[in-house]
Amino acid sequence: MGFKAYLYDIWEAVATTAKGMRITARYGVDPRETITLQYPEERWEPSERYRGFLHNDIKRCTSCTMCVRVCPVDCISLEAVRGADKKMVLASYDINIGRCMYCGLCVEVCPPKSLVHTSGYEMATVSRGELILHFVPEDAETVKGRVAKQVAEAAAKAEAEKAKAEAEKGEAEKAAKPADAPQAPDPSPPPKPPREEAAPFIQPAAPAFAAGNPETADAAGKKPAKETEEEPAKAGDEGGEGKE
Amino acid sequence: MLESLAISLVDAVPVLSGVPLWTITLLIMVVVAAVVLTFALTYAGLATYVERKVAGDIQARIGPNRVGPVGILQFLADGIKLLLKEDIIPAKADRFLFVLAPYLVFIGSFAAFVVVPFGVGLIASDLNIGIYYVMAITSLVVVGVLVAGWASNNKWALLGGMRAAAQIVSYEIPVGMALLPAVLIAGSLSLQDIVRSQGGLFGIFGWNLFHNPFTFFSFFLYYVAALAETNRTPFDIPEAESELVAGYHVEYSGIRFAFFFLAEYGDMFVVSALATACFLGGWHVPFLNAEALPAVWGNLFSLGVFLGKALGLVVVMMWVRWTLPRLRVDQLMRMSWKYLVPLTFFNLLGVSLWLLLFQGRGIPQMIASLFG
Amino acid sequence: MKARAEALPTQEMLINMGPQHPSTHGVLRVILRTDGEVVVNARPDVGYLHRALEKIGERVTYAQFMPFTDRLDYLASMNCNAAWAWAVEKLAGIEVPERAEYIRVIVCELNRISSHLIAFGSFTADMGAFTPFLYAIRERERINDLFEEICGNRLTYNYVRIGGVSADLPDRFLEKTKEFLDYFDPKIPEYNDLISYNKIFVHRLANVAVATPEDAVAYGLTGPNLRGSGVRFDLRRNEPYSVYPKIDFDICVGTGERGTVGDCFDRYMVRINEMRESVKILRQAIAQIPDGPVMAKVPRVFKPPVGEVYFRAENPRGETGIYLISDGTVNPYRLKIRAPSFVTMNIFEKITRGLMIADIVAVIGSFDIILPEIDR
Repeated sequence: MGFKAYLYDIWEAVATTAKGMRITARYGVDPRETITLQYPEERWEPSERYRGFLHNDIKRCTSCTMCVRVCPVDCISLEAVRGADKKMVLASYDINIGRCMYCGLCVEVCPPKSLVHTSGYEMATVSRGELILHFVPEDAETVKGRVAKQVAEAAAKAEAEKAKAEAEKGEAEKAAKPADAPQAPDPSPPPKPPREEAAPFIQPAAPAFAAGNPETADAAGKKPAKETEEEPAKAGDEGGEGKE
Repeated sequence: MLESLAISLVDAVPVLSGVPLWTITLLIMVVVAAVVLTFALTYAGLATYVERKVAGDIQARIGPNRVGPVGILQFLADGIKLLLKEDIIPAKADRFLFVLAPYLVFIGSFAAFVVVPFGVGLIASDLNIGIYYVMAITSLVVVGVLVAGWASNNKWALLGGMRAAAQIVSYEIPVGMALLPAVLIAGSLSLQDIVRSQGGLFGIFGWNLFHNPFTFFSFFLYYVAALAETNRTPFDIPEAESELVAGYHVEYSGIRFAFFFLAEYGDMFVVSALATACFLGGWHVPFLNAEALPAVWGNLFSLGVFLGKALGLVVVMMWVRWTLPRLRVDQLMRMSWKYLVPLTFFNLLGVSLWLLLFQGRGIPQMIASLFG
Repeated sequence: MKARAEALPTQEMLINMGPQHPSTHGVLRVILRTDGEVVVNARPDVGYLHRALEKIGERVTYAQFMPFTDRLDYLASMNCNAAWAWAVEKLAGIEVPERAEYIRVIVCELNRISSHLIAFGSFTADMGAFTPFLYAIRERERINDLFEEICGNRLTYNYVRIGGVSADLPDRFLEKTKEFLDYFDPKIPEYNDLISYNKIFVHRLANVAVATPEDAVAYGLTGPNLRGSGVRFDLRRNEPYSVYPKIDFDICVGTGERGTVGDCFDRYMVRINEMRESVKILRQAIAQIPDGPVMAKVPRVFKPPVGEVYFRAENPRGETGIYLISDGTVNPYRLKIRAPSFVTMNIFEKITRGLMIADIVAVIGSFDIILPEIDR
């Protein structure tokens, strides 16, 4: 290394350092360059399409289970029973937002658009159980029992009206036991719905290939029906307030 | 000096005449030491805050702003946190050395405050070998760092300790040689004498910085070398967060870690204070003769000016830190031996020749003499 | 720069760099055998982040796998999304509307910029200069804002769909993108002034860990790492897909401007220059984008024909290849992902021999690896 190169080396080091320091100094003294948002006091406005926590408007939900099928991580669990007017009544609709990955596939497939992303992104809990959002305020068993009673009443009324038609009797009896309705893909025990933590990617046995293809296997509850007038509507109101 | 202070105290307060003189001297020493240490700790705490603020500003952020007004009490919160943290000593560490190391580093760094000439009369102990003392006592830091690296029984820490040893030993030489021009000009090793030698000429043109071209470069060479001695970016290879995790203090936690941390900031100040005293006229107030003022005002003025200059240099160190990347260990050595050592030596030679040729007069002095 | 170690007989030291280490970009573990500061051997040990993504791919449907591609290379989710979509479309022979292809190119190039920004920022942070990292993050946030507008998420976008994209661009999106480009363009010279040509930075990188062009090809480096070695190969040019043939841009290659061709500095500069090229591509794409639908007709129950396909896309970290075997059902029969970062780790051991510990960090940073992609 010649003497000239030696001096040039020193000059280059000084010059490039000075250049860099000029830039940092400019940022250092210019208050306009500060971009920090003072989070709890200042917030940024989430965009319209923001994919925050999921919310299901159960008044409009038709229990079609499309969301359950399309969810890649099985974070939605749904139980529904067939009501007196042959429409599905939600017994429970839970979303485990601890497992949810906010991909938005469920929102895209929802036929009545009842499942939406809110702009909520703040939540802290001390236990994982609290991360399960329950959208049906009542206990699943209560709903099921009530619906079963209504169905039985309806059946009884129908029976009283057309006492002579014996053929219907058998059917009414069949409808009175709706607990094993074929809609919910996971026949987990009702009181604590999402209990299958251990195996997140194992699909329910039967439709191993059908998962995520909503049209293949929803036998019942396909039509987006208007809500049944009585209890579920009221329940939906309470639920909406409770969750927001 | 302290003894004379004690004598004057006894003269002023007759009640004390019964007490033996050495007791009073000792008492004054303790008080002075306490004052200096308090200053040093407060400075170090505030410096951490300023460092974070400077970093925040440079990085287009805000920096600490939650504890106290504009976050000024952040350093207290941090200090309390560090005090309350669990003190972990690794199972396989050499316990005695592990415990000892932070104190060595801390002492090495803060003992140097003793000879820092804060003002006209504000110096804890005006040793006649001031610069020598600073160089010697700050070298204690490397012992502490090496001990910390070894005692942690951690490979990263060991590497950090070895790096620190190599680095500080190498950079002692350019640091010493870069300071010598000031010593030559003043003809004394005492920092107070060096500062006094820079008076006159409106209190700014007497600075060694403007004495001659060689001292001018000497200042920058000293600053760079000293930056390396304090282990700060771009020369922070002993810590090298992205390589060695945290280097020699990787296993330290709680208050022991705080000692290392404070020592680093103490070092920064000592280095800046030395640069100020040797090249930037120390406590000389521009356009004002602080020594001619009444004692209280003179001391206050000079203290403020000295702190202003020294802390300004500390802020520049922070600015450099948040701009530059880190050198590699071999490049660091090369920089010392191939660049800084020859250059400082050349500078020293130049200054000596200058003093010989011009009978110790600097350029401003010569210009002043032209105008009579 | 190889240090000589024969003078004194010394003991070798075995150090684990990682999986928890500030600059291994995640959970990479490098087993270092060092002689003091000099690395005798550095063996990367991967697999700490294995999530069996390929197996998951066999258990979920084609559409359901899309969110998982977000997790493949989370700094370039859009590119992974698009690569998956292109692969499946190639398998099923789906014709994608042109507007959708343009949107994909726009989001991919935006994502390339944001990914290279992180590469640049974390690399400089590894080198000890932390400030550029925050500048890079600041720019990336603006890209994230744009992405949030079009897809609603800031990290795992899941925006591209098989047959198109999930939603059309929102109002004023193109204008906002243009604004961003105008803002971003002058930042690149600033980065260069701030750090790229800084003497210390150049010295740390020049002539370090040289991957010769032959080695680079032989070891299967792709993307910026390959181009850093001076090989002019870019899938967007050499095996054009989507609407890239209609767009004019240069392939950036390492020139050895401060050292040897294929050193860390070249790999770094290729990324910096590629950000410029991406800006160029974006400007053209914004000018050319047609109106029209953004989604092709894809049946809800999507069953591609029996067959297999290999599709490779030029992602920010190199060639992301997707190999798919379909048995005609709704799930892939087999899915194999060729992750560029994983392949890059092959050459690691070879080119790090004789470097210093600090250089290992530089090599990891210059390869811009990302662990979820290595381990999948």
